Amino acid sequence: MTNVLTIARFTIHEALSRRLVLAGLLIGLAFVGLFALGFSFVYDRSVEAPRGTFLPNVVAANLTVLGLYAVSFLSGFLALFVAVGSVSGEIDSGTLHAVLARPLQRAEFIVGRWLAYVGLMSGYVALMAGLLLLVAYVVAEYAAPEPLPAIALMMLGAILLATLSLFGSTVLSTLANGVVVFTLFALAWLAGVIELLGTVLSNDGMRNVGIAVSLLIPSDAIWRAASQYILSSASVAALGPASLVAPTAPPSPLFVVWAVLHPLVFLGLSVLAFAHRDL
Amino acid sequence: MSPTASASYSAAGVRAPTPAPVPAPAIQTINLRKVYGRKVAVDGLSLTVQPGEVFGFLGPNGAGKTTTVKILLGLVRPTDGIARVFGAPADDPATRRRIGYLPEHFRFHDWLTGHDLLDFHGRLAGLPAQQRRERIPIVLERVGLAGRGGDRVRGYSKGMTQRVGLAQAILHRPDLVLLDEPTSALDPIGRREVRDLIRGLRDEGVTVFLNSHLLGEVELVCDRVAIVDHGRVVRAGRLTDLIDEVPRVRLTLDRVDGDLLAAIGRHGAILDVAETVVTVEVRDLDAAARLAETVVRSGYQLFGLVPLQRSLEEVFVGLVEGGEA
Repeated sequence: MTNVLTIARFTIHEALSRRLVLAGLLIGLAFVGLFALGFSFVYDRSVEAPRGTFLPNVVAANLTVLGLYAVSFLSGFLALFVAVGSVSGEIDSGTLHAVLARPLQRAEFIVGRWLAYVGLMSGYVALMAGLLLLVAYVVAEYAAPEPLPAIALMMLGAILLATLSLFGSTVLSTLANGVVVFTLFALAWLAGVIELLGTVLSNDGMRNVGIAVSLLIPSDAIWRAASQYILSSASVAALGPASLVAPTAPPSPLFVVWAVLHPLVFLGLSVLAFAHRDL
Repeated sequence: MSPTASASYSAAGVRAPTPAPVPAPAIQTINLRKVYGRKVAVDGLSLTVQPGEVFGFLGPNGAGKTTTVKILLGLVRPTDGIARVFGAPADDPATRRRIGYLPEHFRFHDWLTGHDLLDFHGRLAGLPAQQRRERIPIVLERVGLAGRGGDRVRGYSKGMTQRVGLAQAILHRPDLVLLDEPTSALDPIGRREVRDLIRGLRDEGVTVFLNSHLLGEVELVCDRVAIVDHGRVVRAGRLTDLIDEVPRVRLTLDRVDGDLLAAIGRHGAILDVAETVVTVEVRDLDAAARLAETVVRSGYQLFGLVPLQRSLEEVFVGLVEGGEA
């Protein structure tokens, strides 16, 4: 366990030293600042009714969902970036040889890396989503009905993508991994749109394709599940089925279980793939 | 009483002295083999390195040296054969607690300072915080980086990076140090310092496995060497034995003609004739004495007979290029 924590500490130190997290934070903070400005501008222009009443709440809810969707997107990007070369980059640069020549199990290296990504991404999502919800409350007095499960699911989405990227880095070069995981990230989003269109058009084929891809890469589906907890039922009804960022249907308990298992499965696959790789 | 204990009594009932346990070899490989697709990197390599030795591992590029070192560290899995370090399987992480390793390309996390890099490796090696605090300044000084531990590794020159690599290899007082080309980036003074470091390690009883192309370096510090080619050991032994295996003598004469060369040829192989100097390979030094007698009896004046020692480089080239193995 000591080795796992040493690697986790080292990975966080690395992410901070390389300023990747700092860049993510600066971009995120800039976004929150812009969001606050835009939110306030749009909200004031579009709503003349007193704050906290039905119509302003629907507008505020929609704006909040849009803002959190952007946070989810940013954290997804950061998660993929932060882990894309976690193993392959070390192999390519040759830095891993001296590290694995130590009394360290390869599984400890992988799990240590993963724990660091879990910590980094959880902190990032919590900070950004928290700030955004604070902006929504300050500007429009909008309080998401259940912010904690929403943030927890957003964290899960980012962790899932970081784990996928970690797995890719155990079997692919950094460049190839980058291409693959960003394509999968986009594919997951596309699957969400296909599923939504399938629902709107009552096309089971499209819906099933969307669901199948979401099961393989549930990042977009997790976002949709998270957004359930941000919107009040009235807001969901007002938003209707035509939004690209809002929920299509509440997540089933089975889906939530799978979403939690997904990172664990890919963590296990990462350990297995790396266990016997010649360096 | 265990059968082993009872066996230590003689027939007269007097306890016989228990023989001291024989320490396991620091490194032992038996028919080690590694195949990458259709390429055979290591092909039945058998090798034994005793504790406390400075062992030179030589071979041309692509001979399988680095692959062998990586197998010894568990970085590469052998296709077949046995690799043991201090009697334990080479891929056992616990064994690696006793090993220090300087990789050939000595790349380290350059965003760390030299001190933090050593602290990280010290943690992984299992050194407690107090020992890390004590050892880090000592090893930095030992490799000539005293006062530079606070600088980031990315600011180090190549030579300094190699030095910090040496520091991390000896930080945890290993029993075995694997050095893969440890002086490739160092200037002559740095090379001398590394030689002194290796000798110091030998004096402390540390086994050093030196993988190097710099045969002069190997000649200066190694007790035994193995020369590998195409993944196999083609010659191994004490350095002095390898170098003296086939003695050569240089004769300086008043004149050289066909009759003399024919006479010399009966005692050994003529390697070179340069005016009145003839270099001859003889079976042993007794043969050299008989050769001198023949020359003088044949009426030639012998001004000098100098035994020549082959350099390791000549032995190496002879084995690798000439296929002497």
